[in-house]
Amino acid sequence: MDDRFRTSDADRARAAAMLRDHFAAGRLDAAELDERLAAALNATTFGDLRRVLADLPEPRQAEQPGRLPPDRGGLECGYRLLLACYPAAYRRVHEEEMLAVLMTAAPHGSRRPGIGEAADLIWGALRVRCQPSRNGAEPGWRDALAVVSVLLPLIVFITTAVHVAGALPVYLDGAPIFRNINPLWFLNQFTGPLALLALSLLRLQRIATRATVALLIGVAYLAILSYWAGGPDPSMVSTIAGGPYIMLALGLQMAAVTASPGLRRGLQLVTWKHVALTAIAAVAVAITSYPWTLVAIPVICAAMALTSSLGRWLLVLLAIPLGPYVFVPYAYVFAWGPHMRLYVAGLIPTGPLEPLGQSCVLAAVFLGVFVVAACRESLRSRKLAPPAR
Amino acid sequence: MTELPLREPTFLILTALAAGPQHGYGIMTDVAQISAGRVRLRAGTLYAALNRLDTDRLVEVDREEIVDTRLRRYYRLTPEGTRRLQQEVERMRSTTAVAAQRLKLIGGTS
Repeated sequence: MDDRFRTSDADRARAAAMLRDHFAAGRLDAAELDERLAAALNATTFGDLRRVLADLPEPRQAEQPGRLPPDRGGLECGYRLLLACYPAAYRRVHEEEMLAVLMTAAPHGSRRPGIGEAADLIWGALRVRCQPSRNGAEPGWRDALAVVSVLLPLIVFITTAVHVAGALPVYLDGAPIFRNINPLWFLNQFTGPLALLALSLLRLQRIATRATVALLIGVAYLAILSYWAGGPDPSMVSTIAGGPYIMLALGLQMAAVTASPGLRRGLQLVTWKHVALTAIAAVAVAITSYPWTLVAIPVICAAMALTSSLGRWLLVLLAIPLGPYVFVPYAYVFAWGPHMRLYVAGLIPTGPLEPLGQSCVLAAVFLGVFVVAACRESLRSRKLAPPAR
Repeated sequence: MTELPLREPTFLILTALAAGPQHGYGIMTDVAQISAGRVRLRAGTLYAALNRLDTDRLVEVDREEIVDTRLRRYYRLTPEGTRRLQQEVERMRSTTAVAAQRLKLIGGTS
């Protein structure tokens, strides 16, 4: 560019930015920066700008190691893989920016990201995922919990209906195992999850209140369930009620109600696709026996995961109540027909109290983790938020 | 409302930005310089902190540039960020003053 040509606003702004860079790099002190900025902003020709920047190196020579050698492609690929851990919305804004920083900061000659850098990026991604976003949108996992609080009662309803339909003929046959059980027990199966659904309708503001009420409903539900079951054989409660399944579902529903932004948000987000896939998954899981479940769950979950990042979170959360069917082989005895009769005939042994104890512990641990995470995050955002005026 | 002390990386990032708008890599090198090489921020830590500071409106985006085909985003302090840093500096000054005074009493050098 000829020195006599006149400068535009953009040219002057660019020169000012370069001066600030040189100041940031320590080549200029504050007084020099002010003086040169004034000169740059008043420049009328390229000659003026050139004089302002005359004794400073080009930014490219100063801060970039020149053209990237070809073997840095692998390094960039590695960083992009790690950056995939960040939420999609964050990546759209910051991926290129972070990549530039990572590539500049990478030691010379490195072909792939170091372990420390990788761990830091993954930890950073977790932190960003848990931070509330500026425009008030919830982080993905809280949105997913809101959807779960809508879908879970549906799952529980479907699977319980299938179980009850399986158990009813045996009951009507007058099998000895049902002798002490009140017929209302069958209806009672549906009450706990529905009570929790009602809890999210109450719109309790404080997380601690919601957690307490959810816990009380959960405990009351279990107490009533064991009362109807007849008391003397508590293992009946967990086994007939669907084993670890109902406990985990209850725990998850308590967590969802506690930590999610509420039913209203869930209903906003849930689509017919979620409902249909969940219903298909629940029916498939409830009526198929063990080997089929192994195929059905991954296929349906994969379909859900492909739809969106919310779908991927749902995949993780819904795998929890559906999981026992995959990991606990005895759960499949509650499938229809011959399996149920095998169990009633005492051919498949179960230890007393064992499943109930295990699943209560699991549910409690699960609820605890979610409540702690949610409380901690809400506490942190309150601490750092500007004071309310 | 009393605000909690800033954590060190956050404090150093705000300090780096107090000199004027800087981009990510500039903040990293500046923080290393301010802390005499003791604190070396990595990109994951830096951007998680920047994200939170941005959410809390203590920093904001100044401008963007393309340098050598790479995107650079410059950040600057908001007035709220400046106030917060000022408050932190006063808090630290008052505690270090007391510490120095007591060290003198027991004959240490401060």
